[in-house]
Amino acid sequence: MSDRLNRRRISLAAIVVCCAGLVSWACTARGEGGEPRYFAIKNARIVPVSGAVIENGTVVIAKGLITAVGTSVTIPPEAWVIDGTGLTVYPGLIDAGTNLGLPPEEGAEQAAATSGGRGRRRAAPPGPIAAGPEDRPGTSPWRVAADELKIDDKRIESWRNAGFTTALTMPEGGIFPGQATVIDLAGARAGDYVVRATATLPISLKPTDGWFTFPDSLMGTIGYVRQVFDDTAWYAQAEPIYEANPTKTERLAYDRTEMVLNCALQRKEIVLLPGNNSIQILRVLRLADEWKIRAVLYGGQQGYAVTDALATSKIPVLVSLKWPERPKDADPEGEQTLRDLRFRDRAPGTPAALAKAGVKFAFYSDGLAEPKDIFKSVKKATGAGLSPEAALRAFTLEAADILGVGDRMGSITPGKIANLVVTDGDIFGEKTKVKHVFVDGNWFEMHEEAAPPKPDEKKPSEEREEGTAAASREIEGVGR
Amino acid sequence: MKIRACFLPLALLFAAFAATPMWAQSAATPAAYAIKGGKVFTLTGTPIENGVVIIRDEKIAAVGAGVAIPSDAQVIDATGLEVYPGLFDPITQIGLTEVSAVSATQDISELGDFNPELVAATAVNPASAHIPVTRANGITEVIAAPGTAGFDSQAGGIIAGQASAFHLAGWTMDEMQIRRSVAMVINWPSIQTRTFDFSTFSIKEKPYSDVKKEYDKAVNQLSDWLDRARHYAQAKEKGSPALYERDLKLEALVPVVEGKLPVLVIADEERDIRNAVEFCSKQNLKMILGGGADAWKVKDLLKEKKIPVVLGPTERLPEQEDTPYDKPMTQPSELFGAGIPFAFSSFGAAFSRRLPQYAGTSVAYGLPHDEALKAVTLNAAQIFGLSDQLGTIEPGKLGNVIVTNGDPLEIQTQVRYLFIEGRLTSTDNRHRELYEQYRKRPQAAR
Amino acid sequence: MKRVNLWIAFLLAAGAPLATSAQNPSTVFIQNATVLTVTHGNIEHGSILIRGGKIAALGADLKAPEGATVIDATGQFVIPGIIDCHSHIAIDGGVNEGAPAVSSMANIKDVLNPDDIDIYRDLAGGVTSANILHGSANPIGGQTVVIKLRWGKPASELPFEGALPGIKFALGENPKHSNFTMPPGVPARYPGTRLGVEEVIRQAFTEAREYKKQWDDYNQRKAAGEQNLIPPRRNEQLEPLVEVMEGKRYVHAHCYRTDEILMLIRVANEFGFKVRTFQHVLEGYKIADEIAAAGAGGSTFSDWWAYKMEAYDAIPYNAALMTERGVVVSVNSDDAQEARQLNQEAAKSMKYGGLSANDALKLVTLNPAIQLGIDNRVGSIDVGKDADLAIYDHDPLSVYAVVQRTLIDGKVYFDRQRDIAQRAELEKEKQALLDKEKKANEEKKSEEKQEKKPEQKKKPPKSDSADGAIARGAL
Repeated sequence: MSDRLNRRRISLAAIVVCCAGLVSWACTARGEGGEPRYFAIKNARIVPVSGAVIENGTVVIAKGLITAVGTSVTIPPEAWVIDGTGLTVYPGLIDAGTNLGLPPEEGAEQAAATSGGRGRRRAAPPGPIAAGPEDRPGTSPWRVAADELKIDDKRIESWRNAGFTTALTMPEGGIFPGQATVIDLAGARAGDYVVRATATLPISLKPTDGWFTFPDSLMGTIGYVRQVFDDTAWYAQAEPIYEANPTKTERLAYDRTEMVLNCALQRKEIVLLPGNNSIQILRVLRLADEWKIRAVLYGGQQGYAVTDALATSKIPVLVSLKWPERPKDADPEGEQTLRDLRFRDRAPGTPAALAKAGVKFAFYSDGLAEPKDIFKSVKKATGAGLSPEAALRAFTLEAADILGVGDRMGSITPGKIANLVVTDGDIFGEKTKVKHVFVDGNWFEMHEEAAPPKPDEKKPSEEREEGTAAASREIEGVGR
Repeated sequence: MKIRACFLPLALLFAAFAATPMWAQSAATPAAYAIKGGKVFTLTGTPIENGVVIIRDEKIAAVGAGVAIPSDAQVIDATGLEVYPGLFDPITQIGLTEVSAVSATQDISELGDFNPELVAATAVNPASAHIPVTRANGITEVIAAPGTAGFDSQAGGIIAGQASAFHLAGWTMDEMQIRRSVAMVINWPSIQTRTFDFSTFSIKEKPYSDVKKEYDKAVNQLSDWLDRARHYAQAKEKGSPALYERDLKLEALVPVVEGKLPVLVIADEERDIRNAVEFCSKQNLKMILGGGADAWKVKDLLKEKKIPVVLGPTERLPEQEDTPYDKPMTQPSELFGAGIPFAFSSFGAAFSRRLPQYAGTSVAYGLPHDEALKAVTLNAAQIFGLSDQLGTIEPGKLGNVIVTNGDPLEIQTQVRYLFIEGRLTSTDNRHRELYEQYRKRPQAAR
Repeated sequence: MKRVNLWIAFLLAAGAPLATSAQNPSTVFIQNATVLTVTHGNIEHGSILIRGGKIAALGADLKAPEGATVIDATGQFVIPGIIDCHSHIAIDGGVNEGAPAVSSMANIKDVLNPDDIDIYRDLAGGVTSANILHGSANPIGGQTVVIKLRWGKPASELPFEGALPGIKFALGENPKHSNFTMPPGVPARYPGTRLGVEEVIRQAFTEAREYKKQWDDYNQRKAAGEQNLIPPRRNEQLEPLVEVMEGKRYVHAHCYRTDEILMLIRVANEFGFKVRTFQHVLEGYKIADEIAAAGAGGSTFSDWWAYKMEAYDAIPYNAALMTERGVVVSVNSDDAQEARQLNQEAAKSMKYGGLSANDALKLVTLNPAIQLGIDNRVGSIDVGKDADLAIYDHDPLSVYAVVQRTLIDGKVYFDRQRDIAQRAELEKEKQALLDKEKKANEEKKSEEKQEKKPEQKKKPPKSDSADGAIARGAL
């Protein structure tokens, strides 16, 4: 009798547990394990980018990939159907230069602020003084963004909610800060995010602050980079010879930079070189040619002045969307040169000029604080002559191509990764809302934002958390 | 009668002794000089062809075409030469510096922001090599202004001290001094968001609001000092001697607030000039603008408030990128056209001898030659209240006169004779000595 | 039909001279000026014919050919374009790579900035070529380049074609950091004395010699067919020094005192090279014979002195005295402003030391050309040389002379009247852009108010200086 009761209790308990599990599933945010992997968005306007717009069609997604796109597509029975009436489906947007997942450290932000200059460059920490190239100042090409991702970076969600599914995230600090990673903006663990770990090798030509450590000038920095490429080339030649004939010569010293850079250059990794005004751009084109690297220019805001040279060089451009403007707390009577005024006026016209000249380009947010700032910047570019189609392309297929992942994302094409954004209007429209975002076929449904809580009103979950914290503090107190 | 006769030579000797200044005691020092045969530019009217200038007892005794030459005068034959008042460089650091990089030789800028009681004359080194070098090019008197920034030296505090006017010849400052205090030097606090940080050798940017706050604070402090000086003056005059405590700094400011001692305000940028003029007007200070690179932008204001300008070197780069390339060179003619009194200065010591070159360049860019000449002689004297003594060749004025082999503003012109305080002064100087010495070096063995 | 043909023929015939009289921009005729050739005297009422950027003909009895652009220089004076042998204009991102004692891996040519307004200002002062140098922070500094001041052209078109590259050395107070101290916590850099300055140079050249030997050995063995050879590393710091020893790169040595000048002559001898120019060389007058014997040029200031201890014996007679003793002397600027008045600075040597007018003019024309090895192309007005010219309204050695036009390769790069005429237009454009920005800002502000955004966290100001540069556009 008791046995049967017990067994019933146990099975009841088991059922309760299973139900609880199911219930917890339902409450978890979308994008975690146990999710549906088959979707169909039907009756939507589809903008594939790789082909003509489909006014009324269906996109089918299965296990992270797009499996079908078109007007007469069969919707598989296992698919979760999303009614796309009145909605538009675009490829997910790609931000080709960020530090998403690599939030800058607190101290560094302060140091950057006081040292002046754009926030990106950090003041040289009081560390060893570099006397020359052999000290490898500011050089850490072995750092890979993929290894340092902090996926709790709130900006990731913020970007995704605005329609970005992919970003290039770059380590910062120094001349060779490390290797930048292409990430999709969703996943359970850091590794899930990574599309290509060592996608590009950014180089910065900003010398260190101060005149007592090498390099402290632009020419010194360029001279240093040149020497590093020399050393890497030497290593490429010397290492195999040594390994094949170890008894013939003195053994080679170990230099991590040479080793890592050699690997990167052997597999023709993209090298990102900085150039924003026309002089810097032309300089970078010359250097890229001298160093025989697969280069991509980042910055590019004065591209409008040098379209011919860019077109001839075939070097793609990542255009910074942080359009130049007068600093916020500027001296109202401070000098404003005609040069600066012209630059600020014409810079947003660069994307249109590049498009016209057939220069391949994409956009990057360059430290803009919020996605809506990105769209404001894009509006300036379209206002200055860039067609919306070209703008969209720059955010999708061009960006993917330039970053070397154009074969697997950037357009709504069967076989490509299901990175999509579904909106209720034109993606660059001011009033447009993002309804759904798919990242690697994981579905994120946007809800209307609840009104922000009044200051004295707390969300129940917050209260619970506080109570728990208070309780644990009490317990700690007792324990002492 | 016999007694008188033998007293006569003694009397004459005594007279001669009494007449000549103590330090020039030698049988060779003449009682007077007569510069004759040259073209005399008195700067009071048309130049005098074949004129005569008589110098006696430190002063110009007579000048004219047919002036009689006294028998006791040493005649200087100026045939084919030209005679001018000596040039006046009204903002220099001469005597307060020897080698800019060697701080032991620098006495230009004291520590601290408010030093009204300091006087340049205290530390002018009469043996400075800069003095003979400078006068060899025709500059006979200068003003040394403490706290002013020259080549390779930085500006001092807000109230930097009192500028002193002196001749470029003499054994001690007592002998050289024209007027111990001619102006109170004020470096107008400039609002700069972009500064050069020497510790890291790089440009630093500061937010405007921060810089504005610092500026307001500095101006308030300056205003405070002047107010306290006024109270001090009042207390001194009307208050009880028992309660009166002497304050050297405030005491030095009393002539300033009473409008008796002008303030030489150093400012180059438009906003600084505007702010300074407004401030001095409110405070009832007698202002002279020093530097004035942007003076052309505020001509109306300067004209209205009657502010004379002592310009920094005419040969300098424009302040801003978009400013016409020749603005610093055309500015003097613009100021002249607007009726604003101005003088040229070098703002230096080692480059003081370039004074005539600055004036000449401004002539190239439109300033009438006569005006340029005045702007290196008379105008500075007028601006600093010394025109009763200097600036023209007129009887009664000091015998600061140069005799040149041509236009003093032209590069190749040389000074043949130099008179300072009525004494014929040598143009020998360190540079000529080194030249002569090494010219004589025998050919080195190959 | 026939009439039409006639008409066509007539039009073609009429059109032919029209075609030839259309302006041929590469033929320029400067007429009726006083031409100061520097090499063969002055030509009164002289004219210069320029074709393809070169001086094609020169004389008092030339006529302007059909189609030439005529520059009427009546009453004016033409001299060879001024060559500034010591300049730091047009450099992006720092004049000194100051940290290491030997910074020869840095190259000015990598960082030329064609938008530096000082290029234009110096053009307006008659300068057509300049020796753009690294600063004086190191005993051995960076590589240097000679440029023509081709305002409006990109950086790649500035370097003087065919001019040998250079390298900057610095002796005396600057490279030994006499006049400043390191920030707290940063160790002082060797060398701290003139003794050490010599050692740094000798050490560097010793290493360079060794480096060259290693490469020579390697190349030899490789040529002989040896396999599996690991090459020596390339060393960007030592390679320019090897080039110095091979005579392929000029040494321009900033120096002041006699002892350091003689030191460098000695060290150069030891390593088999010659110093091309001693720069500043303010005590050069004391050892002019030695400098002349060493075959070095002296490039000096006109009258700067007393700013450093080592400049205390400087005299304005330096240029004249060195010239007297057989040194090829130039007067330079080391400063964007001084470069605008080099004609005046050259004139000073007539006063201080009695140089003739022509010899004084040489100090800023032919002599610096000789020093930089470009005298086959520039430095005098001779048939066959580049048409690099400066036209003044007065005798160029007078303080009253103002540059009216400056030509490089026969093209007018500076025209005073054109500059003056354009000012109003540029002001207008500037004001329009300022107004446009102001309006846009006001619109943005009202937009932001409407959005009722919560207060944004105040971000530190960003400097846009690095990105602010923009081509001004050729005149």
